This record gives sequence, C-alpha cells and structure tokens, in this order.
Amino acid sequence: MAERTLAEQLGGPLPAGIEALPEEHRQDLAAALGDARHRQAKALAQAGEEALKYVPALLRGAVRKAVGL
Amino acid sequence: MNPEILKLARALGVDPERLGYLADVDESDVRLLREQVTTTLFDANLVVLERMALASRLLPAPVVAKIAEKVFGPLLCARIAGLVDVSRGVDVAKRLPPKFLASVAAELDPRRATAIITRVPLSTVLAVASELAGREDWITLGRFVGHLPDETVRRSIDLLDDVGLLRTAYVLDDKNRVDHVLSLLPASRLPELVRAAAADPSLWEPTLDLLAHLGETRRATVRPLLGELPEELRARAQATIK
Repeated sequence: MAERTLAEQLGGPLPAGIEALPEEHRQDLAAALGDARHRQAKALAQAGEEALKYVPALLRGAVRKAVGL
Repeated sequence: MNPEILKLARALGVDPERLGYLADVDESDVRLLREQVTTTLFDANLVVLERMALASRLLPAPVVAKIAEKVFGPLLCARIAGLVDVSRGVDVAKRLPPKFLASVAAELDPRRATAIITRVPLSTVLAVASELAGREDWITLGRFVGHLPDETVRRSIDLLDDVGLLRTAYVLDDKNRVDHVLSLLPASRLPELVRAAAADPSLWEPTLDLLAHLGETRRATVRPLLGELPEELRARAQATIK
C-alpha cells in the first residue's frame, strides 16, 4: 500500500511554507508522522491488555466491556 | 535552532536535526504544521481512548493512578488526560509523582487539558515545574504558561534562574504573553536577565527575542542598561527596542 501523503494524514491543506518544500522533505515529514501514529497505536494496543492485570478481578468484566476488549 | 522546529520535533518524537530543512520555512507555518500534527496525533485512536477514559470511571482513583504510571506511561496518559472527567483527572494527578507528571506534561497538549491543569494543586504544579527546570525542558514549561493562572505562573517562574527564564520565554507558545509574564515579576528581574545575557552569547538570541516582545514601559527600563552590554549585543538590542 502506498504511503499516505502528509496532507492526507493531516486531513487538510498544508501551510504554504510546508507545501513549498521539495517533495523529499514533505515525504520525510509524512514518514515521521506515520511512525509517530504507528508507535502510538502499538502502545495503546499493548496497554489495553496489560492494564487489566491491575484491575480488581470483580471489575474486570465491566472494564473489558467498557473498553471493548 | 528555531524553537518551532524544536517543538515540532518533540511532537513527532524525532531528533530536531532531522528537521533541519525547515530552517528557512516561515516560523508561523512550522507552528501551523505542529498544531495540525498535534491534532492528528490526539485524534488518532480517539474512539479507543474515549472508551478507556470511560472505563477509568469504574475504577478507584488509586487503581487508575497505578495503571497510569505502571502501564500507560506518559504518552498515553497525555492522550487520555483531556478525555477524563476533570475532578477524576485531578484526583489521579494528585496521586502521581512529580517526575511522572513532568513526563506527561511534556507529551500533553495544554489546550486539551486546561480544565485539569488549572485545578491541580499549586504545590503539585510547582513540583512539576521544578522537575522540568531540572531537566532543562524549557519547551514544556513554555507551553504551559498560557494555560495557568497568573499566581501559578509567577510562583513557577520564581523557580527558574535567569538562564532558565530566558530560554523558557524564547519558546513560549504565545509570545504576546512575554510582557505580561514579566509584569508578574519584581521590577529587578528584567535588569538581571539583561545582565545575565551580557555574560553569555548563547543567551543573546533569546534576550533579543524577549526585548522584541516587551511593551514600551518595560523597554524604557531596559534602555539605561544598554551601556553595560557588549558592543554587538548593545547595537542589536538598541535596534530591537528603538
């Protein structure tokens, strides 16, 4: 799958000075943002399961349901 | 380096050197990009984060605090902070160590968590500010200035030495606040800042930037000090506050 452009990831037009950058620099910004989103999603997925270990057993079912796990 | 590039690098989690190609881009455009990036990252995974915030209401605050510190870590806590009930968020924050809160603050978008930030006890805010100053994290300190009550700002700034204050003012998110922030300090502090800058060329840019954002009243208090400055700094300062 093709990498999403910076504007696609940001969901709108880029500031003029960023739009005027060479393509390689806009691609670098897009890659950096994509990596940041990926790291965040990964951390979130791991945290969801791990957090349940700290939830009192009696509440675990309700918390699972609320989170959608 | 341009403070806006430093702030964008922080938001993206990359080394500022990597973004060196932004040096010639207008600062306001880099700032706009940072705001877009911040919004994108905070809105990504929003549904899951909202569910987690909802689930946290089912748990006692001490348990939430433990999960926040042991599992979620600063980044995810910062993402969720703006989604939880304010009173619950404050209750949890009070139970977390200042070191951890300082790391959360570094990842937080103050615009989204103003309600919590302004209700955290002053002693906690000061402990976090002290931790951030120890880390020389001027960017995070500067991002919060526009979101805290004057008294909290004044007490926090009291913790900073002249170098810390100049570097924090240099990266303030809202430069229009510079003159107001200085108005919260004793009149003697501005001359101290100028004299500190005279002794350290690495402080010249932050100092000239600070002078550029002063109102006429405070500029007038700086003019008599110009004679004490090294020639190059004096010329640039004179041009800035003429």
